[in-house]
Amino acid sequence: MHTSPIKTLFHHRDLLSAWTMRVIRARYQQSILGGLWAVLQPVATVTIFTTVFSLILKVDTGDIPYVVFSYTALVPWMLFSASITDMSESIVSNMNLVGKIFFPRDILVISVMMARLLDFFIAYALLIVLMVYFSIPIFMVTWLFLPVILLVQLALALGLGLILAALNAFYRDVKHVVILLLQVWLYVTPIIYPVNLVPERFQSIYFLNPMAGVVEGYRAIMLYGSIPDDRFLISASVALVVLLAGYWFFKRVEHRFADII
Amino acid sequence: MAYTIQLIDLSKRYRLGQAPLSLKSLFSSHKYTQDNRYHWAVKDINFALNAGEALGIIGPNGAGKTTILKLLSKVTYPTRGKILLDGRFSALIELGAGFHPDLTGRENVFLNGAILGMRKAEIQKRFDEIVEFAGIDKYIDTPVKRYSSGMYARLGFAVAAHVDPEILLVDEVLAVGDMAFQRKCYDRMLDLIKKGATLIFISHNMRAIQKVCSRTIVLYRGQVAYDGSPAQAAAEYSNILRTAATDRNGEDEPIGHGIAERVMTREAVIEHVEMLHNDGQPGNTFISGETVTVRATLHITADIQAPVFACAIRMPDGQVAYDYTTHWADLKTPNFYANTRSQVAFKLDLNLATGTYQLGINLAYEDLSKYYDRSDRLMDFVVTSPSGAKGVADLNARFSVIENKLHETEIFS
Repeated sequence: MHTSPIKTLFHHRDLLSAWTMRVIRARYQQSILGGLWAVLQPVATVTIFTTVFSLILKVDTGDIPYVVFSYTALVPWMLFSASITDMSESIVSNMNLVGKIFFPRDILVISVMMARLLDFFIAYALLIVLMVYFSIPIFMVTWLFLPVILLVQLALALGLGLILAALNAFYRDVKHVVILLLQVWLYVTPIIYPVNLVPERFQSIYFLNPMAGVVEGYRAIMLYGSIPDDRFLISASVALVVLLAGYWFFKRVEHRFADII
Repeated sequence: MAYTIQLIDLSKRYRLGQAPLSLKSLFSSHKYTQDNRYHWAVKDINFALNAGEALGIIGPNGAGKTTILKLLSKVTYPTRGKILLDGRFSALIELGAGFHPDLTGRENVFLNGAILGMRKAEIQKRFDEIVEFAGIDKYIDTPVKRYSSGMYARLGFAVAAHVDPEILLVDEVLAVGDMAFQRKCYDRMLDLIKKGATLIFISHNMRAIQKVCSRTIVLYRGQVAYDGSPAQAAAEYSNILRTAATDRNGEDEPIGHGIAERVMTREAVIEHVEMLHNDGQPGNTFISGETVTVRATLHITADIQAPVFACAIRMPDGQVAYDYTTHWADLKTPNFYANTRSQVAFKLDLNLATGTYQLGINLAYEDLSKYYDRSDRLMDFVVTSPSGAKGVADLNARFSVIENKLHETEIFS
């Protein structure tokens, strides 16, 4: 209980990968389209947004076509929102196991997030296809920054996921709050609209939302060939704090999970 | 460390009913208050085991068996007391826990093995052995949802038994599977014990426990009622089952009252009990074979109809030496009336072996639905036997030797 989480995770790395594989396999077992869903879902969502925001309500996204502009941000967002939803359910849906066998409970949380990463990579591969199709210049050098942004995003998601997973075990209201929260969060993050539509005086508050910096970071490296600006540092620091707080909280209450079934 | 497992004052309390709906309560961890909304699932459990020892834990439902196992496997944490474990352990609380129905047997072996703390390489090394033990090699690449429950359990046991544990915790899991497989499981357990593993085997099947355990604890209402040889434990367990059956009558009463209040109406109360020698003198030391009168004075506060009287004599470990009821004897007892005192007497031939005994008397309803009053230990008494015979009953052996013509000796006892 008092060893560091990183050490125990390393010790249980085989379980982490086995459980991640279980989540992935179980998700696409008995499904005709299987892994194709990883692409179909963001494509469908982007199609809806594109219809609304480039045909009906014209949103100016500069040189980048709206489809590519929103897809670049939407795929990371879907990774974020889907993994948070999954993580908040991860303890409750495995109560049967939690009540019977001891193993580090954070493995259940982390592995559902890892399982969503696969979807992310599949869906992001399609972005390249879109960029080639719309003849958008490709800056491979800045892609090197992708792991950094991804890590910050995962840290943020995991921190929240740990807190929500633990809370959801005690109070099932959490599940509903999460859905609501993610809905609001989507609209306060520059995903389906560009940041410059946000009034200047709100910008400093706006970027306190760590996902704003993350999403802008993705656009910077993928579409504009630049590295993320200072505002990404806000995201990185918030993510780190959230991750530490999440782990602290989770470790503090995890020994009670088995008693509340 | 001398022991592989040591439990010190181990206690676990559960809250009855709803969990508190405040965030603050999540943080107030180890403080506990005296509150009757809590229930002690196990209380003040103490025992220690050496490497190679096999302990059986038996007890009726709700005695706290599974709670102990969960505490040992760190699934849940004690409210009080502690557990010292020395060695890698494997817990078989449920066979095939974590199996995913859509995954194949092979995939589940790796998954389950990982949950039980095995490295991937270790599982790989033992994979063939596991599959062979489970006897399902033909179906190893079939999703486990198509397995029969027997196959499922076999694969589950096979994985857990190949963790090569130094401490093995086994819950009631061998009820599934055919006889041949059950024997295989017992053999595997015995094998592990021989190799120096420490085993804790939880069951409510006494025979299963006797097969593998050299020591048995009887658990009742969260406490150790007996700790010793499996044979003695068997006797104690049947005793407790009887008590549990009678206690069940009071189960709709509010929780928090003691057992006594739950099963007794106290419309008639045993005020005084004495044991009398043949000459009418009370005493508590008797000679084996002596005729003794057990006399109880009752205070009756309500009209009661044909109550059943019972008189039991127990050994200090709780084992019943003698149990008598007017119901079994088919004896008709009279009615008693409110606000009277009566005396009843049991005349006994005290054919007991040397030892200390406990006298208990029960007063039950005619239909045995409730007790008026009961006590399993009203007084202790000592029996001495000039012959020094041991055991429970004094069969008053008279020894003799008969010599025959061939000078062979025959002994009659």
